Amino acid sequence: MRIPIIMAGMGMVALVLFSAASTLEARDDHLRALNALTLYAPEAAGDREYLGLDDEKEKISLGQIDAEILIVEIFSMYCPHCQKHAPDANKLFRVLDSRKDIRNKVKMIGIGVGNSRYEVGIFKDKYSSPFPMFDDRDSVALSTISGIYTPHYFALRIREGSIHEIVYSKSGAFPDAEAFLDMIVKESGIK
Amino acid sequence: MKMTFRAALLGGLIILLGAAVAPTVMARKDLIYDPGPLKATDSLLKVRVGEQAPDFTLKSLSGKMVSLSDYRGKNTVVVSFIPAAWTPACSDQWPGYNIAQDVFRKHNAVILGISTDNIPTLHAWTSQMGGLWFPVLSDFWPHGEAAAKYGVLRSDGMADRTIIIVDKKGKIRYIALHNINKRPPLEEIIHELEKIR
Repeated sequence: MRIPIIMAGMGMVALVLFSAASTLEARDDHLRALNALTLYAPEAAGDREYLGLDDEKEKISLGQIDAEILIVEIFSMYCPHCQKHAPDANKLFRVLDSRKDIRNKVKMIGIGVGNSRYEVGIFKDKYSSPFPMFDDRDSVALSTISGIYTPHYFALRIREGSIHEIVYSKSGAFPDAEAFLDMIVKESGIK
Repeated sequence: MKMTFRAALLGGLIILLGAAVAPTVMARKDLIYDPGPLKATDSLLKVRVGEQAPDFTLKSLSGKMVSLSDYRGKNTVVVSFIPAAWTPACSDQWPGYNIAQDVFRKHNAVILGISTDNIPTLHAWTSQMGGLWFPVLSDFWPHGEAAAKYGVLRSDGMADRTIIIVDKKGKIRYIALHNINKRPPLEEIIHELEKIR
């Protein structure tokens, strides 16, 4: 009886270790891909001011955004799950914007993977998305950020012009914007 | 002894599960079947810009028979042939058109979405998208008859990914035979609609 119980225990440990190793490996790949990513910045003056971008920069890397924690929604204009989730994503931004204690430190953007500027514009207009959205007209994000499905959320810690750490990474919509933001704040340790 | 066997089985199963499930979790994308890269195009167009568009009558998801000629004198028609339900690029294409309804309406255009899949398959596929505002037509039987009229039926029975724009007089104004593996950009269609007044 003892040996099978030990085997079951070993199985559990193997499962946990394997999952953890896979997650860590994926995060390393994503960290490299996200740091290498350069995207066409939004043109709207309000978006550029929010992100702290130099007026002259047409393309930027995510590490150049003026934030300590950057919440990134990876979406696609063509993804029905992202369309359905759009009001919740908007709510997340509004909740974040209402938090005076953290809104200058934690910022939020969207990246429309494989989407042109026109396609991102259609999505932004349709759902009145209040946060800056980047297009991916060259499909660089689509081809380099692997193993996720849309919508996907990253929370990235930015330090000295680059992404220092992936604080959070998960595919799928969140059910509650306030709880999601609280979780990101807690995970990141930001005050 | 029974308990011993069950516990051993459980342990073994958990080990197997750990090995089999963990690497695929992040790659899951709902119910989509990915056939991998296919031959970009596999058909020979039988129509040209400026010609009268061949008429077709196909069954829609609502059960109603829909003909291209129903729109003569009323709307510009964007005929969108897609290869197959439940595949990656196709499953992305029409949901995008779904949120651009206002843009199509602004140009007095309707979409006729056509696939060689049968009605039950198209029903299940479009239902999980949340429904579509434009008619979805099945070119299942006689298999690919409408696609064949336009010369976009592939040798594997699917249609090539094709956009054909037909004006109110029934004349073809635009044809684009796209790589089956890639989704056509929406602005290409809208740009062509802007040219039609």
